[in-house]
Amino acid sequence: MGPSTGMPCRELVELVTACLDGALLAGERARCDEHLRTCAGCRAYRAQMEALVGGLGELHREQEEDRAEKAWLLHLFRTRGHHNRAPRKRTVPLGVADELAAPGDHIGYFWEHEQELDATADFLAAGLERGEACVLLGHDAANARVRAGLERRGLAPDAFHRLNRLHTVSGQQPADAVLRDLGDRIRTAVADGVPMVRILGHLGWERPGWPAEREILSLEARVTDAVRNLPSVVLCAYDVRRLSGRQLLQGGLECHPLTLRHTSLRHNEHHVPTRPFLERLSADA
Amino acid sequence: MTDAATDSDDASVVRALRRGDEGAFARLVDQHHASLRRVARLYISNRAVADEVVQDTWLGVIQGIWAFEGRSSLKTWIYRILVNRAKTRAAREARTTPFARLDAELEAEEVAVAPDRFRPADHPTEPGHWADPPPELRASPERRLLAREAREHLQSAIEALPEHQRLVLILRDVEGCSTEEVCNALGFQETNTRVLLHRARARVRAALEPYLEGA
Repeated sequence: MGPSTGMPCRELVELVTACLDGALLAGERARCDEHLRTCAGCRAYRAQMEALVGGLGELHREQEEDRAEKAWLLHLFRTRGHHNRAPRKRTVPLGVADELAAPGDHIGYFWEHEQELDATADFLAAGLERGEACVLLGHDAANARVRAGLERRGLAPDAFHRLNRLHTVSGQQPADAVLRDLGDRIRTAVADGVPMVRILGHLGWERPGWPAEREILSLEARVTDAVRNLPSVVLCAYDVRRLSGRQLLQGGLECHPLTLRHTSLRHNEHHVPTRPFLERLSADA
Repeated sequence: MTDAATDSDDASVVRALRRGDEGAFARLVDQHHASLRRVARLYISNRAVADEVVQDTWLGVIQGIWAFEGRSSLKTWIYRILVNRAKTRAAREARTTPFARLDAELEAEEVAVAPDRFRPADHPTEPGHWADPPPELRASPERRLLAREAREHLQSAIEALPEHQRLVLILRDVEGCSTEEVCNALGFQETNTRVLLHRARARVRAALEPYLEGA
């Protein structure tokens, strides 16, 4: 039947997949070819495998046509794509106060009480539970508090760090660098197939190591445009007990198209679009 | 990972999607929807839930297209979104059985062909050679495989595969992905992917042997 020397058939059948894939080293390939030349049983085995792979490929052609489904997907494309300038449909659970957000949202959250501060961890927890990625962009004290909050909710921050689902981006750098880092995080997450990226800002106004107020204001103004077309929701927390009137007014109110206060998310009439805001900021200097 | 032609095709599809070109989106759906649905069902047995995951995947494509930079091919990216969501959803669905661990599946020894089909290693003239070789194939075995009865056997042989073998076989042989695309979509190493594919094909071949021989 087979040749009495060289590679046994038992060994050849284990190399057939690599052989059909062209993944054998030249030496192995030559031994296989040599064996196949003289062994009808192995040639038949290889032919069966080729026929099987061919048959499996044909299964693909048996498509279930589903026109209703396709029409629905086209509707989603038409209405949810960022080329559509109409208001976005709000479908992303914010995790805070039962509100829904839309991809591309930049929300100013005004908080006063400790439990309202803790609710910022709920914002991230809702994302982690949905398979999203999260970014902490905050001063150390706030980040530590949010991490503790996640831990209490059974979402170990270290584990999510290791899974590349929770990141820290430093705010202690110029606005350009922060925006670049955030963009990188979002694009990397998206490339990995992550559905959405939540960014939580507890910006370090007047904290050591953080940029000057103007730089933080410039960052806040530019984030809105930077994330508009991206699958990302940004929530910036404003501590109304501690921040200055100017920080609350210009940073909190004028830089966020949406605001969250107590339990309601609202469109913000005081929002100033990025360009006029930045022009005024440089004129004020 | 892809040749230049695919890269530039992808780039033009991405531009069209960002412009809101519905024809481009419809073509993408035609190319991948049925495949995505089959792959989703590998993770989630409830068909309605699996279909929701596929719809979520398309939404991910629609919303993520501005952040897509072509680090992988468009096709690989779409599968990654699907696999990610399917896993998250499967973990949440109480009715879904959890996936076995990949290393556990790989550790088990498996041979492509039952050992008793070969002569023993100490056989005087033909050690390790066929004792009971497969017969010569007759014409067009693929067609016979796809006849109704054989097709049902083929489907059930695929369904009987261990989970990771099934995933790799479906993506690679049924959906026609390259080994590299399968590795990227599932996050497996190339060697593991090859082992899984080899074992899956061997099992399905063994189950379908009567049809392949055309007896």
